[in-house]
Amino acid sequence: MSPPPPDEPLPADATATPPDETALDAPDAALAAAAVEDDAAVHDLDGLLAATGATRALLEAVERTGLLAPQQHPEDGSPRYSASDVAAVRAGMTLLDAGLPLGELLDLARRTDAAIQQIADHAVEAFLRFVRDPVRGTATSDEEAADRLITAYDRMLPATEQLVAHHLRRRLLTRAAERIAAELGGEHP
Amino acid sequence: MSLHVSSVAIEDDRPLLDLLPHVPDALAWVRDGEGLVAWGVAARIEAGRGPDRFRRAGQALGWLADDSAVEDEVGLPGSGLIGIGSFTFDADADGSVLVVPRVVIGRRGGTTWRTDLTPPSATPAPPVASSPPVTTPTRPRYAGSSLPDVHWLEAVARAIARIDAGEADKVVLARDHAVWSHEPFDAIDLARRLTGRFPSCHTFVVEGLVGATPELLLSRSGRSVTSRVLAGTTARSADEVEDAALGAALLASEKDLVEHRFAADSVREVLAPQCADLAGEVGPRLLRLDNVQHLATTFRGHLDDPDTSALELVGALHPTAAVGGTPRQAALEMIRELEGMSRGRYAAPVGWTDAAGDGEWGIALRCAELAGARARLFAGVGVVAASLPEAELEETRLKLLAMQAAFGADPVR
Repeated sequence: MSPPPPDEPLPADATATPPDETALDAPDAALAAAAVEDDAAVHDLDGLLAATGATRALLEAVERTGLLAPQQHPEDGSPRYSASDVAAVRAGMTLLDAGLPLGELLDLARRTDAAIQQIADHAVEAFLRFVRDPVRGTATSDEEAADRLITAYDRMLPATEQLVAHHLRRRLLTRAAERIAAELGGEHP
Repeated sequence: MSLHVSSVAIEDDRPLLDLLPHVPDALAWVRDGEGLVAWGVAARIEAGRGPDRFRRAGQALGWLADDSAVEDEVGLPGSGLIGIGSFTFDADADGSVLVVPRVVIGRRGGTTWRTDLTPPSATPAPPVASSPPVTTPTRPRYAGSSLPDVHWLEAVARAIARIDAGEADKVVLARDHAVWSHEPFDAIDLARRLTGRFPSCHTFVVEGLVGATPELLLSRSGRSVTSRVLAGTTARSADEVEDAALGAALLASEKDLVEHRFAADSVREVLAPQCADLAGEVGPRLLRLDNVQHLATTFRGHLDDPDTSALELVGALHPTAAVGGTPRQAALEMIRELEGMSRGRYAAPVGWTDAAGDGEWGIALRCAELAGARARLFAGVGVVAASLPEAELEETRLKLLAMQAAFGADPVR
């Protein structure tokens, strides 16, 4: 099979590494299969450069810091970038265009990554203990368990994303307002 | 007769920077409580352009001295007729200057003196400050860079590619931060904060250029010359064990040792033909400063020709591999093509000289160029084949933050 043309999306599961079936029973295996990045990685590096206007030096630096993690092409192992990678790079470029220095953006990204990692661990732990385990304990068959787990996962992921985004936005606005008020009150007019 | 110059010992043990009156033409070169502060302008020697600008400035100071009446009862390095100056990094840039002040207060080995340098029919110079200075931290606010840092990152990547292609071994790339404030920046106030923070560095003030440098490019006293090269840097830690481990790692770091060797060799190549007995330490040693530790090599020797002046040697040394690169010409070309800014007097010699050719010169690193309520801060890094652009960007970011913090840090005495 030759690599697909860059603008034709791969089928959603084509880029996913199949989970190791032997280590998991059926419902957990179904859950593991669902919980992979399902965003088709259609761009190679040149495609990403063209789609975002970023330079090679910039993207290579960002990738080395671990903030951009390409998937691997299933055939030749070359790095492949998804539509959400394109969107993320474009968002970064918007911040740079608005005047945020790259050094500060990378610093913020590193801090975000460190904070988010801890929260992600807690969120996964909460899902496994308080959603998966009860389902596994109450389902009457593996099929029913798999079905309920995938339904729960599909609903909870976007809901979690929405909650985090909402909270971050509210925090940003509140902190900005407090900070500006303090400068108006305390410092030079 | 041009100037009447008189140096006399005085009794005053106040910090030198506290003696400066609040004037715009204050000058300073101080370290560990000693050195020189000065104000007023008895003569201003514009050195012009070209690699010869150092020698020309020294020559002009010599002519002025030949035409002046000098009474020096003190006889210490820095007494008598002196010029305090700073030079441009780029030989083709204007702005290299040697200022002969109206009043100098000097201190060395516990002796304090005052030199008055008076042109004929001059009005009296402002007196020594009588009250302790008022310190008002002026918060610098970011106003942009000559080259946006995302483009600077690309310049570093291009430099690495050109080093890989064999064009040079090392090139120093710098970037700047323009800052502004509501109040004019005060050079002496900033100098006092810097001496508090970095007491073992030379703190300098020359026509708006203010900074603190740990490096000693060249000092000459009679025939004896000294140069201390610093290249290769790591952080310090409050924890003693961790601090020692950081230092040990620096002494073992191949990348830093290579970078240091380039810098030390560039000084040795210039001084060895001038001093038959030039001696450098074997291998760099660790120099622990207030906030960082450096690899350091000190060279000492005696000039074969006693007429070779400090400024001539400075002109031959500049730019060293610590601020330019290796080989020098290839590195300078890459800086011109890639850096996207004018360095002005950043990364260039700053110090003082007397008419006999003695003097002390450092390199203006960790500095700011002040102009009213605006200023430019600088930071640079040595780029070698093993460099990573994002790591170099982060190093300059931290250096620029440290310099900004110095504006607001409490002066310590």
